[in-house]
Amino acid sequence: IYAPAPNSHSLYLDKFVFTNCQNTYIHSFTHSSYSPPHSLHKFADPFSSLLNNNKKIKMASFAASPVSFSAVSCTVKPNQVSNLRRASLSFSGKSSPSRRIPALRFRVACSAKPETVCKVVDIVRKQLALPDDRDVSGESTFATLGADSLDTVEIVMGLEEEFGISVEEESAQSITTVQDAADLIEKLLEKK
Amino acid sequence: MKLDCYQRTFAHSSSSLTPIQLPAHLETHLWYVKPSEVKNESLLKQYLDILSPRERENVMQMRGEELRKSALLARTLVRTTIARYQINSQINPRSLKFRKNIHGKPEVDWQFSNDSLPPPLHFNISHTSSLVACGVTVDSQIGIDVEEKHRSIKHTVLSFARRYFSKHEIQFLASITDPQVQKLEFIKLWTLKEAYVKALGKGFSGAPFKTFTIRFKEDSIHQASEIVVDSFDEPTELTSNWQFSLLELANSHYAAICTEKHAASAEGKRNVPTKLTVWKTIPFVVDECVSGTDAVKTIYG
Repeated sequence: IYAPAPNSHSLYLDKFVFTNCQNTYIHSFTHSSYSPPHSLHKFADPFSSLLNNNKKIKMASFAASPVSFSAVSCTVKPNQVSNLRRASLSFSGKSSPSRRIPALRFRVACSAKPETVCKVVDIVRKQLALPDDRDVSGESTFATLGADSLDTVEIVMGLEEEFGISVEEESAQSITTVQDAADLIEKLLEKK
Repeated sequence: MKLDCYQRTFAHSSSSLTPIQLPAHLETHLWYVKPSEVKNESLLKQYLDILSPRERENVMQMRGEELRKSALLARTLVRTTIARYQINSQINPRSLKFRKNIHGKPEVDWQFSNDSLPPPLHFNISHTSSLVACGVTVDSQIGIDVEEKHRSIKHTVLSFARRYFSKHEIQFLASITDPQVQKLEFIKLWTLKEAYVKALGKGFSGAPFKTFTIRFKEDSIHQASEIVVDSFDEPTELTSNWQFSLLELANSHYAAICTEKHAASAEGKRNVPTKLTVWKTIPFVVDECVSGTDAVKTIYG
């Protein structure tokens, strides 16, 4: 997050990123200019039904005309409605009434890789014998998917086998979502 | 009208619960519901209505109708069961409040004035998609676990046991040659271990499965007479505080019950068996005492 330089227009870019296990899509759009950050929250509502449906969203490139940006190649955390990850971007440049000159720089908070999340989802699907149309994503909790304690320990075993790690009882107890499991796996893999 | 055993009792009206006396000092009550027997939509709505808003939300978040139903029945069973005991004339299942202890074990949050002692009622629930159970005791911690007898597991019994069970338990399971028997014994052992951890109330990591052994003590004629727990961490005086029952319910499930022995009987004396009374219920509709019938087969205890 970069503070706008003097004589610049700040453009706050909201980037909603989400992944299903087929692809990672980035849906971005620009918000016109000078509003302070808190007003960006209003974008949550129109998209909440989209996010809820977990549908594939095509890569949309919105740009104030000369602005172009490249796809985010860093891995990002899957999103849910109540927990939107936002990358605030601002750019500065020479101002003119109708043009904004790009000099985009941004940072996105990263967490477990989508591939890790996907592997966890696979293991969970198999363990719980979920129907194909049951949506499972990072924020799915094991409990709501119907995992009881025996399922949970089997899932932990499955993850240990898949990733070659060893999970302590205390850590296993703190895992409630698919994302928690993926994050823990990556933490343990780093230590190896 | 008080509810005694050996009766099948239909509720007076569509929203009444037949009252019952608290279990005695060495007694355990077990109540269970079979979700497959509860189909009436308006009854399910009635159940939804007695839950707290939070509980309703949790139920609705379950993914899938079967899961929602068993989650609903679990909360309904807890509330209606406790309400039956009419503690301090409190008979409305909707007005009960719950909280979690420091380790996350649910308990009743009795809404009395500060100077009155909370009633000594303890409960614990367990549910599978096909059976929901609630155990109740007085003055004694309780943990229960139910599992389908023929529940499938993704790993082999022995690889599972090697990962989670103690050495003694692995040896016990490994010595069983018939794979079907081995699987059944595994499920029994699992429910017993779960019931123990739940009775302790410290959570899964509070008593990791590998750190304690549950075994069947044999008497002088080599019959399994008692289920005991040995713990690497806890001294014997503490582990001998716990007693177990293992039942087969409705020919389809194993139910393990772990309760605290009371001070009087824990001083190395002969194990005083607890009296267990089991009811099958559809709250607000019918209660059926099933102790002594085919629906309840005692395996140990």
